[in-house]
Amino acid sequence: MGNFKSDQYKDPDGEFAGEPMTEVSVQGEKRNRKAAAEFTRPLLLSASQDLAGYVMGHLGRTILFLITTTSVAAVFLIFYFVIREALPFFTTGGGAAILARVREFFTDPGWYPVATEPRYGALALIVGSLYVTAGALVVAVPVGLLAGVFLSDIAPFGLRQICKPVIEILAAIPSVAYGFFAVMVLAPWLQTHLGFSSGTNALNASLILAVMALPTIISVSEDAMTAVGREIREASYGLGATRAETIVNVVIPAGHSGILAAVILGMMRAIGETMVVWMASGNASRIPSPWWDLSQSIRTMTATIAGDMGETPKNSEHYFALFTVGLTLLLFTFSLNLLSEYLLGKAKAGRGKR
Amino acid sequence: MRTLLRQILDKGFTTASAGAVVLIAAALLVVLIPMFGRGITAVVFTETVEFRRLEKDLHGRGDNEHLARALADAGAAREPIYTMLREFSEGIDTEPLVKQARDVYQKYGEYLNYHNTPKEQYSEYRKQAKDVRDGLVDALESDDRQTVLEGLDAVLKEKDNPVFADSPAMEFFAMAQRYKKIAETVDLSHRAEYLANLQEVTAAIRQLLGPLPGEATPPLWMDQYGATRLDMALKAKQALLYDEQWISEGPGKPMVKKIVARKEQFAGTPLELLFDRVEADWDKLLQPRLRIYWQYFIDDWVNSHYFGGVGPEILGTLLLTLMSMCVAIPLGVISAAYLVEYAGDTVWIKIIRMCINTLAGVPSIVYGLFGLAFFVVTIGAIGKPCILAASLTLSILALPVIIRASEEAIRAVPQTYREASLALGAGKFRTLLLVTLPAAGPGILTGIILSLSRAAGETAPILFTGVVAMGPIPSFGSPSQWLENPGSLFGWLFQPTRALSYGSYDIAVGDRISMLAPHQQFGMAMTLILLTVALNVAAIVIRSRLSRKLRGC
Repeated sequence: MGNFKSDQYKDPDGEFAGEPMTEVSVQGEKRNRKAAAEFTRPLLLSASQDLAGYVMGHLGRTILFLITTTSVAAVFLIFYFVIREALPFFTTGGGAAILARVREFFTDPGWYPVATEPRYGALALIVGSLYVTAGALVVAVPVGLLAGVFLSDIAPFGLRQICKPVIEILAAIPSVAYGFFAVMVLAPWLQTHLGFSSGTNALNASLILAVMALPTIISVSEDAMTAVGREIREASYGLGATRAETIVNVVIPAGHSGILAAVILGMMRAIGETMVVWMASGNASRIPSPWWDLSQSIRTMTATIAGDMGETPKNSEHYFALFTVGLTLLLFTFSLNLLSEYLLGKAKAGRGKR
Repeated sequence: MRTLLRQILDKGFTTASAGAVVLIAAALLVVLIPMFGRGITAVVFTETVEFRRLEKDLHGRGDNEHLARALADAGAAREPIYTMLREFSEGIDTEPLVKQARDVYQKYGEYLNYHNTPKEQYSEYRKQAKDVRDGLVDALESDDRQTVLEGLDAVLKEKDNPVFADSPAMEFFAMAQRYKKIAETVDLSHRAEYLANLQEVTAAIRQLLGPLPGEATPPLWMDQYGATRLDMALKAKQALLYDEQWISEGPGKPMVKKIVARKEQFAGTPLELLFDRVEADWDKLLQPRLRIYWQYFIDDWVNSHYFGGVGPEILGTLLLTLMSMCVAIPLGVISAAYLVEYAGDTVWIKIIRMCINTLAGVPSIVYGLFGLAFFVVTIGAIGKPCILAASLTLSILALPVIIRASEEAIRAVPQTYREASLALGAGKFRTLLLVTLPAAGPGILTGIILSLSRAAGETAPILFTGVVAMGPIPSFGSPSQWLENPGSLFGWLFQPTRALSYGSYDIAVGDRISMLAPHQQFGMAMTLILLTVALNVAAIVIRSRLSRKLRGC
């Protein structure tokens, strides 16, 4: 196209110069020229404008980038502060005591922070957390996977549109409301109908945690199974498999990493949950024995932090110990998170290959 | 055969998976129905005249005239009950009578002093009065009817003694007269039994109708009124009409509950009529009527949630969530826009994405620990648990939710929109601001609403950073204060607050008085669920409209 000259005002020597304005008064001419200039701004920028645009663009981009790094900063701050407040627990006694402290923390089942000779053994708390989480998963995984299968493969479109909001509302109910339900409704029911001596126990907490982990498990596993292509299913049907056989032998194996990620995310939800276990688990810090007796009271890491922190003076040994429990929890969920991300990445990559 | 088996297995699998969904829906109902069913009774219930009295005293609500008329009606119905109770208790519970007799004796002495009785007469009169008093006290303290009647007769013989004429001592004879009437009807040999039961009856009547006339006003509001709600009134009525006893059937056997009608316990006494009277005059005594107490959502509570509503809790939750959104929305939406529109596939972006995922997976209690260590302990300007610290903690928690939802929404804007804008000469930033973000608006709004509901329901992050179970309502100051000191406009940021989420915990587990008022407990939890579920339903509706629009219908 060559040079596209549209700016009469800036280019008075051009071929169109002056022509349309010969009859107009001076003032009107000025106004018209200004309007024309505004209307036909150059698409080609001068060097300085170009530079300004470049700088502004990059500056804006950098500002946006900096804002985006808030999340990174938040993660680092969380780790930094939790570690900072947890470290004194190990280091106060000097070099030799560090190992002893670590050993006490992870192997001693006695959590007696306010005794005259305080013991900070978190084993019972860790076991308690894992115990209710396992109890929750035993219920939530089969139910959640079946529901995920139902939503991805079995339910017709209209039914799915009804089921999804139900699951979303299940996820929307705040954890403290579930805890309230556990204490006020479920615990008395367990006590009167199943004859437990106390309604707030591991069974109660596990059941509620299962309900809370369900939405996560369902939605992630449903995504994983929907992502398994239609062709694979059709190939299976073409070989004469029934729907159940297709799902069990083809869809689930193909989506296994996503399904595993769903289970891990559900597990994270259960292990990091505070209010429900605080309210419903009975808060007795001991390792359940016999292990299968769900009617015993247990205590989890989260509930210990929530329950003890309010009565702990700042910078006391107990305070640092609670941060150490928090750090353990953080590292635990962090590694689970990495694992789930790895699995989801794998699932995505597998999808990409097809 | 094999085909049949496979078919059955297939059907079974389908049924099982459908069953799982049904189970989940059932779980939702099992959770929601009792919460809403019992929670709604905090708002819609049958009030009694006591409730109207309470409202008038606490908030000045209600029509004075109507209330006065209702109270007069109720008072007229209550009067005979009080009289019956008083007369009977005088017969059974003679301790006050004994005390009264001693008082009369003292008054008589003062009376003699006042009339300047000569000294020898004085001691003579006092001696006579003392004899009468002792006779009366003996009669009062005796459980044997014969002794009582004889003693009283002996006292009454002194009635015409000129020594006592027109003096306070005449009260002796009035008392003797009254007591004689009672002693003739009541079986005094069961006095101890009657006395114990009478105390229970009196307590039940206090529960039902409020403090008895003549009693000192109790210090707690909850004791100053009778049953304010019909359900509580029925409970009190049950305690009034029936005695619940736990009887041991021998060693080692469990206790057995036995219910005895009070009417039978008091058979043959004047009090027997009281129970029929309460039943007959039930409506007049309490004047129950339906009430929709919408002020539950704005009222403050009294006496640890025994009366009142959840207004400050709702206010606190709104302040916390809105403040946290003020921080989280700009950060989250900008982050999402950057990630979608500008970010390439560099290492940095991978790290950012990983951090967002990590942030989403951090347990809420760890957020609480972080908020405590960072906002409360480290940042000196905050320095103590307050709304600012709590809402900043919540904003970090809400950040990944907003980023993910906004990212998805921005990604869903068709590429043609952007291309059209770019073709018109708009730059990348202008396209983002004027085309992509508005088009993604409803989707972003959905994400914001969801994170709002998440933030409103969270308890653990605010436990140590700014929430209290009991405390003052955040004060915003007044316009004149703002003019004087603009900083006071933000004073509420540095106060702790109550919140629905922590309130639901405290009212269920921590608080002892509220256990007497289950409707209050369920009401608080219902309000919280109502708030979060309503936000979610709004998000679902917006999204379904959006998807319809995107499908082009």
